[in-house]
Amino acid sequence: MKLRTENPLLRYQLFGFTVNRWKRQPVLYTTVAVAVGLTYLLVFQLIAYNEAGLSSALYLCLFMMCLVAPLMSYNLFSLEYEKQTWESLALTRLTAKEILWGKWGAALMRVGILTLLALPILLTTADLAVYVSGSLRGEHPTVLEPTTNLYVFTASVFLLFSWGALIVSLGMWLSFRLKRTLSTASTLYAGQIFVLVMLPLLYVIFSSGEMGDDTVNSLVSYWDGFSWWVVSFFHARIIMYLNPFFTASQLGTLATPYGGWWTDSWTGGSYYDGLMFMGWGFAQSFVYLLLAAIFAGLIHRGLKHAWRK
Amino acid sequence: MLDVKGLRKEYGALVAVRDIYFQLHPGDVFGFIGPNGAGKTTTIKMLATLLEPTAGTATLNGIDVVRQPEEVRPLLGYMPDFFGLYEGITVTEYLEFFAAAYRIPKAQRAAIIENVLELTDLTVKKDAYVETLSRGMQQRLCLAKSLVHDPILLLLDEPASGLDPRARIEIKELIRELGAMGKIVLVSSHILPELADFCNKIGIIEKGELLVWGAVDEIVQQLQANRILEIKPLSEPEALIQRLEREPHVHGVETRNGSLYVHFAGGLEEQADLLASLVHDGYRIAAFREESLDLEDVFMQITKGEVS
Repeated sequence: MKLRTENPLLRYQLFGFTVNRWKRQPVLYTTVAVAVGLTYLLVFQLIAYNEAGLSSALYLCLFMMCLVAPLMSYNLFSLEYEKQTWESLALTRLTAKEILWGKWGAALMRVGILTLLALPILLTTADLAVYVSGSLRGEHPTVLEPTTNLYVFTASVFLLFSWGALIVSLGMWLSFRLKRTLSTASTLYAGQIFVLVMLPLLYVIFSSGEMGDDTVNSLVSYWDGFSWWVVSFFHARIIMYLNPFFTASQLGTLATPYGGWWTDSWTGGSYYDGLMFMGWGFAQSFVYLLLAAIFAGLIHRGLKHAWRK
Repeated sequence: MLDVKGLRKEYGALVAVRDIYFQLHPGDVFGFIGPNGAGKTTTIKMLATLLEPTAGTATLNGIDVVRQPEEVRPLLGYMPDFFGLYEGITVTEYLEFFAAAYRIPKAQRAAIIENVLELTDLTVKKDAYVETLSRGMQQRLCLAKSLVHDPILLLLDEPASGLDPRARIEIKELIRELGAMGKIVLVSSHILPELADFCNKIGIIEKGELLVWGAVDEIVQQLQANRILEIKPLSEPEALIQRLEREPHVHGVETRNGSLYVHFAGGLEEQADLLASLVHDGYRIAAFREESLDLEDVFMQITKGEVS
């Protein structure tokens, strides 16, 4: 994609609202910023003091992403239709790509900022946090087994970002298609509840809790892992394996493979290897990003057709 | 020059716009008149490249509106009947946004925005937030936005709708000024007195069909082939009515409020002859004048009150 150096839409989407609103309602926005900051610190401390694992922290971050990401995209196009500004925008010399990038890029950057904000929380669950936690209690700090590794940490960050990217892309597409802000927002939230809660619940009920662990255990190569993914797309278990919360739970397993700090005897064994061969966390992130790109492509096509760009 | 050739828009069985033809030249202010639902907005949207016509085309300075929408867009400014503005930014920031979106070089933007603000009389509001402006000022800002890239064609769909009398007058003055600047201005409205003051050309559309178009004076003249003369006699009118009914150019006489309204088929010469003969025959005439047609009369004579 050729990106021009100046994209007024991107600038407006990123700063247009924020800067002026900050200037006009400083008390309100300072209050909100302080409240968010305090909540952030509270969460940070809770994780640190309770020595929460990576999965718990990642659940929290994913939950926040599920809540906040729709707010970053639900009105990107619907507001243009509702406020009748789209015609003026369509008649400018901005290309379909620039309009798409102006809105999508701004939303992705916000997802990126949210992901960056989650980094300290995720890092807190690593061995460094345990060390600090011991120090704060006045105990002699102990160097413990690492509770995460680079693979798991990177996969967690990718998972978080890519899920956010998928939600904002879907939100933007729905906003473009439905042309109504309220419909888009409600569809996004209801859709997430359906996909993340209802479908897995139905799957667990109807599959008697069968998660396909045996097949994961039997994977012995990356090719096996790839084939497993391909086959899974034609199997109902994909509902679980593409669920970011289930992915997060298994990333927790990968974080403490051979003797976690809470037990010296447990070993991940072949299940751990299977997850590694499946590219666990990265594979799901790739699918989310692919879907996000497809939604962006659909909007681009829509802009070219409906806006005659 | 704007050359509209057989523009047609169909929605299934419904023909919204039926093979419209007209030409406009720089400086023309064209009043596009028609009842609600006649096809004005559809036509304007086709000219604005926002809607693809079913058939026909239009060219602006030789560039095809239908086939080359991207090329023609920088040449036109469009103000829709229902419009919104980006909020949370100031008037100047709003115009800067569109100046950038129209690829006006950064170095030129400040001067252009200053000129446009001055033209639309918004200079005093340049630092005001867009959403705090009155409806009339927002209308002017929307027009200012349509002018930042110096278009040669302005498409204004109901520009004075919802405005108070002062704002209406200001918008009218502004449109007149734009015409004087050599721009082609197409203004749609169903409120005729709004257009009568500043349009040099009009087109009347009904049920998707452009019934008539051309210079206002020419259309009025065409329609005035059957003139109405108002004669106010000082004496009892009965004898005068009988006398008038014997005249070869008179097709009928009505009496209203003590005046006679004579349907007269002759020209100015015949009018003068009639007056002279009446005076010669001893009728005492207090007033003798031709009832002139205004845009409303033209509209009422041409249209039947139907929508497409």
